[in-house]
Amino acid sequence: MWLAVLATIGDASVADADRRALQRTVRGDHDALAEVYDRHARLVYSLALRIVGRQPDAEDVLQEVFTQVWRQASRYDTSRGTVAGWLVMLTRSRALDRLRRERAEVPAADIDWASVDVVDPETAVDLQLVTAEQAARLRLVLEALPEAQRVPLELGYYDGLSQSAIAARLGVPLGTVKTRMRQALLRLRDALAEARP
Amino acid sequence: MSAAPRDHDALREQIALYAIGALPASERSAVESHLRGCAECAAELATLGPVSGALAQIVPQHDPPAALRARILSSIAASDRASARRPTAAWAPWLAAAAMLAVAAGAGLYAAGLRERVRTLQAQLRVALDRVADGERRVAVALRNAADAEAPLAVLVAPDVRRIDLAGQPVAPRASARAFWSRSRGVVLTATNLPALPPGRTYQLWFVTPQAPISIGLVKPDANGSVRRLVDTRGDFPEPVAVAVTIEPDGGAPAPTGDKYLVGAAQ
Repeated sequence: MWLAVLATIGDASVADADRRALQRTVRGDHDALAEVYDRHARLVYSLALRIVGRQPDAEDVLQEVFTQVWRQASRYDTSRGTVAGWLVMLTRSRALDRLRRERAEVPAADIDWASVDVVDPETAVDLQLVTAEQAARLRLVLEALPEAQRVPLELGYYDGLSQSAIAARLGVPLGTVKTRMRQALLRLRDALAEARP
Repeated sequence: MSAAPRDHDALREQIALYAIGALPASERSAVESHLRGCAECAAELATLGPVSGALAQIVPQHDPPAALRARILSSIAASDRASARRPTAAWAPWLAAAAMLAVAAGAGLYAAGLRERVRTLQAQLRVALDRVADGERRVAVALRNAADAEAPLAVLVAPDVRRIDLAGQPVAPRASARAFWSRSRGVVLTATNLPALPPGRTYQLWFVTPQAPISIGLVKPDANGSVRRLVDTRGDFPEPVAVAVTIEPDGGAPAPTGDKYLVGAAQ
């Protein structure tokens, strides 16, 4: 259903419709929130599931994200990016929080709290919706990346590990991690440009 | 203001990571100030911007369970009315569910605005009840049973409330707990399956801070190993990075000495 909706009304119209729905949400319109949910719950849920890994946790993230949208719609500046971009940012933020809480369930005494260095997922996302076909092609590009590039990118984006944590886990120097993540992103950028009509 | 070339090279390397939100906050500001003065890096950021959104969309796609839609939307409506819209509250999902339970339990405080939705809500509530996790149910039951239900509720609906999940440690793997901490109103601890205490021993609750653990109070579980405890931590208590429950000699200890039974990190 989600794909059909996208296909019929197109990317720019989705962004406009989202913006209008968010403005109605600010005024307390529950139907407008439901509209945003119907368009993007799949996007939020799928990303959450990829990050947290378990279905009940992904459901919790979905609920947290839409509760946050309801509470904070008035604070979101729609000129900063699309509503879908904001949803992705919130999803990543809530899902990574959850992942960190879980990781922290090792005895507190074993964690050096002062040195916990985490990525900040709250960068504004200029999200352009891609079609299922474009997503499939990009997924292939990601999967075809050399493991040395792909793994650091996945650990950074989907697992929220800092670059120093990635370096430690993979046993490579920090500078190498940065370079490889950058290479992977540039490859994806080029593939994204090609995938667009 | 242009950066030195060496900075430019180092920071340019960071642009891609910045674009996908993979930089820690400590490294973001240097990138941001460089971006303001460097057209080349700003242009690179513009081309990389869509990659983050693409990464979010190329994960395997799954539809959320259909029943979730009604649960989420109605719990938002319920918590909304319950709290008279606090725009800044970061609500944990269980809280919305707990608010629904409070409504159902007859806390008629919120009834006025709900009248037209009550019938729908009752149907949705049955669905929600089935799905509410044990911990959530425990909180609601504990709240209902509390002789003084208002004080914990005040913590739970505080705009700055944060939930901290505590996991049972190796000495008590079945134990679990949740702490709800509000800087302005105090902390509520609910725990279950704590092992029975040997004579002369007590459980003690701690806020772990970067400096040292701070005692928050003693905790005595009931015969079932359950605890519901409200502690007034308003005032000078620092923000916890973790919350822990240890076993200590009766009367408590100034610093933790015994085994850790429950530990959870604040997010």
